[in-house]
Amino acid sequence: MEGLLAGNEDTVRALYARYARPIFTLGLRLLGSREAAEELTQDVFLAAWRKAASFDPSRGRLSTWLMTIAHNLAVDRLRRETGASRPHLVLVDEVPEVIGADEDEPFMERDEAVRALSSLSDAERRLLARAYFGGFTAREIAEADGIPLGTVKTRLRTALIKVRKANQDKERTP
Amino acid sequence: MTCLEVREHLPEFAVGVLAEPDRTEVERHLRWCAGCRKEASELGSAAATVGFALPQAPIPTGLADRVVGRIRQAAGAPGSARRVRTAASAAIAALVAISALGWGAVMAGRAERFADRAALAEQRQAEALADFREVVRQLIPGQEIPTQETFLTQLTPSQGDSGGGFALELVSETRIDFVIVTVNGLDPLDAEALPYRVTLANEAGDILRVGRITELDADGVADLIRQFDDRDLSGFTEVQVTDARGDVVLSGTVDQTPSSPAP
Repeated sequence: MEGLLAGNEDTVRALYARYARPIFTLGLRLLGSREAAEELTQDVFLAAWRKAASFDPSRGRLSTWLMTIAHNLAVDRLRRETGASRPHLVLVDEVPEVIGADEDEPFMERDEAVRALSSLSDAERRLLARAYFGGFTAREIAEADGIPLGTVKTRLRTALIKVRKANQDKERTP
Repeated sequence: MTCLEVREHLPEFAVGVLAEPDRTEVERHLRWCAGCRKEASELGSAAATVGFALPQAPIPTGLADRVVGRIRQAAGAPGSARRVRTAASAAIAALVAISALGWGAVMAGRAERFADRAALAEQRQAEALADFREVVRQLIPGQEIPTQETFLTQLTPSQGDSGGGFALELVSETRIDFVIVTVNGLDPLDAEALPYRVTLANEAGDILRVGRITELDADGVADLIRQFDDRDLSGFTEVQVTDARGDVVLSGTVDQTPSSPAP
């Protein structure tokens, strides 16, 4: 992080090589265009450079810090553009060029994420995706599915805790 | 909002879909509550994992060079404030308009006696502050100025001096920190007081220069904006406006703890 803080080009390129693709992919999924995803990717690395001093490795991993910045910036942008108090995210089925994309490159964070999500039930996985990628609030999901609001909130919390636990188990595994 | 209420909202907060005004309330609570902040951090990390699960899309050619170029540009131009100016221009315009409204009447001599003038000035300042809070609140949906990360204070004159003003700080984890300072009611005919220097200080005594005021308009109004590309404004709460003689003419303390919101 010292290298990033100093604006060291090699450090920036190393971080880019490791994390740009998932960040760009997230931008594509949430914002719906390659141009917007590219802008988001640039914004994320710029924000990371500016905020490198505030990154505390004892409080979390660099990868999740960067992805949190990416998701927050994307949601901020959607809120700004729609003027709404919550994001109106692009529906999964409307997003071009993601499904079937080149996946030859091994990517540890993705493997871990897929493994963590596999610990969820189908319903929990769908619920998490509808909120994180679809921008649906708990209330909207409750109304759409005809189930109590409290149940949706509980399931969302349970799903996130399961993902968290799966990540922790992985970290403990040598 | 209590810890129990906050924790009920944290899953939605973690995945970015918590609606206003709950989102702002939760963010405000998290700034001072370590227990809830820990849970929010854990759920947020879990949510970030979801982001990594997508099938990876091919990345545009040359994007790496553009990323490096933007960082290099930002690193080489710390004074460049174009982006912030765009975001905050409306806020500045509102500040200046309010300042002129507040102090114009005073400076125009409509209140002749000093006591009346002081009372009117105080009243105008209070009204201007309330108006400014409202302006900032209304700006949020369309501007990059999130309420939960902005902190406003009133600048008050040193004993025997006139004038007033406001300072607005943006202190953010993920955005570029900046400060807007507006002064009003300074004597526009006191040429020897110019230029005024505006600084921020923290408890350790570190001082950041916001900038210099080289001219005032007829109402003694001026404003400054400064973004800090490479500094975090956390803890820089003391705002001072010093004249060319070295005297502190205006000062204020920014409360960076949203747990004690303005009444």
